[in-house]
Amino acid sequence: MNGKIIVISSGKGGVGKTTATASIGAALAMDGKRVAVVDMDIGLRNLDVVMGLENRIVYNIVDIVRGKCKVKQAAIKDRRIDNLFLIPASQSDNKDALNPQDIMRISKELRKAFDFILMDCPAGIERGFENAVAAADEAVVVCTPEVSSIRDADRVIGLLSAKGIPSKLLINRIVPAMVNRGDMLSHQDVVDVLSIDLVGLVEADDQVVISTNSGKPIVMQEDSRAGQAFKRIAMRLNGQPDLPIQVPKSSQSFWKKFGSKIGFGK
Amino acid sequence: MLSDFMRKLFGKNGSKDIAKKRLQFALVYDRLEVSDDMLKEMQNEIVAVISRYFVIDRDQLKLDITRHDDLSALMLNTPIISAKTRQRTANPRVADKKGKGQKFSGAKNRAI
Repeated sequence: MNGKIIVISSGKGGVGKTTATASIGAALAMDGKRVAVVDMDIGLRNLDVVMGLENRIVYNIVDIVRGKCKVKQAAIKDRRIDNLFLIPASQSDNKDALNPQDIMRISKELRKAFDFILMDCPAGIERGFENAVAAADEAVVVCTPEVSSIRDADRVIGLLSAKGIPSKLLINRIVPAMVNRGDMLSHQDVVDVLSIDLVGLVEADDQVVISTNSGKPIVMQEDSRAGQAFKRIAMRLNGQPDLPIQVPKSSQSFWKKFGSKIGFGK
Repeated sequence: MLSDFMRKLFGKNGSKDIAKKRLQFALVYDRLEVSDDMLKEMQNEIVAVISRYFVIDRDQLKLDITRHDDLSALMLNTPIISAKTRQRTANPRVADKKGKGQKFSGAKNRAI
């Protein structure tokens, strides 16, 4: 096997990198691929709780680098989805426990063992970022339709391109009703500003909070629109790059539709 | 719904247009930000090139990036002491320009 390493990055924190990593990873595994999601946020690990695997951690990525265990020993198998594995971060070390050369070294083993390796990048552009992108073949940059997040995304896209890593944009937490009202940047506005290709659009969905509460991957819920969007993103990363991008639409009630027909609202 | 209607009536746009404009400006400036190391390196390279043709006062040399609303400029200010009389001129056009170069001594050179 010669797996592909994809880094999920954003610059700004709290835009949904970890949720995106867990969801895309789960979707790829449900498609039959052998997937490892790797928490690169040393000292502030979170991917394990989001995935509901926090009780099963034995070894972590720092242990792999230090030779205390093999990749296969550290990778926690998800019992709900075949072929999905988590390599957790260490909670007791800090970002300096790893360096980009370490990651380059263990990336060879990871590529041998998995089809896809998703690196959950920490916020910021310091050592943690350098570690997460060290061995990446491509990048998914996550942003929300907010000025702060878009500005940080621009910086990260610049840094990635300087390293020769191609990146695509995932716009998360779109609120269609606000976009319609003209109070939220549309995906087209964001693309205009950042001039980058999209990998997918995900709308704000209460189901994400609910599924994260219980540690269950959102893509397992058929009725979640965010979950379905993440599934399509996984398909685009998995050999179907031209799968059409669906723009989230607001589900309008009859009266709102009626109102907009006669000139109220939009 | 009513507020939307009022907004339409008065032709007021949503806040996203402001956001987009602000972002576009911010990113133009962000992308121009150069680290001091890079600036220093570039200065050394430019000085090396100029020094092949002119004798310049390196101590008074100044490199700056200035920004205005519609234009950003890289400014290199250098007093030129004299042109170099070069023995080997690979490019004849360089030889032609030598004489003219002196007229510009002390002038500001601007490049975008």
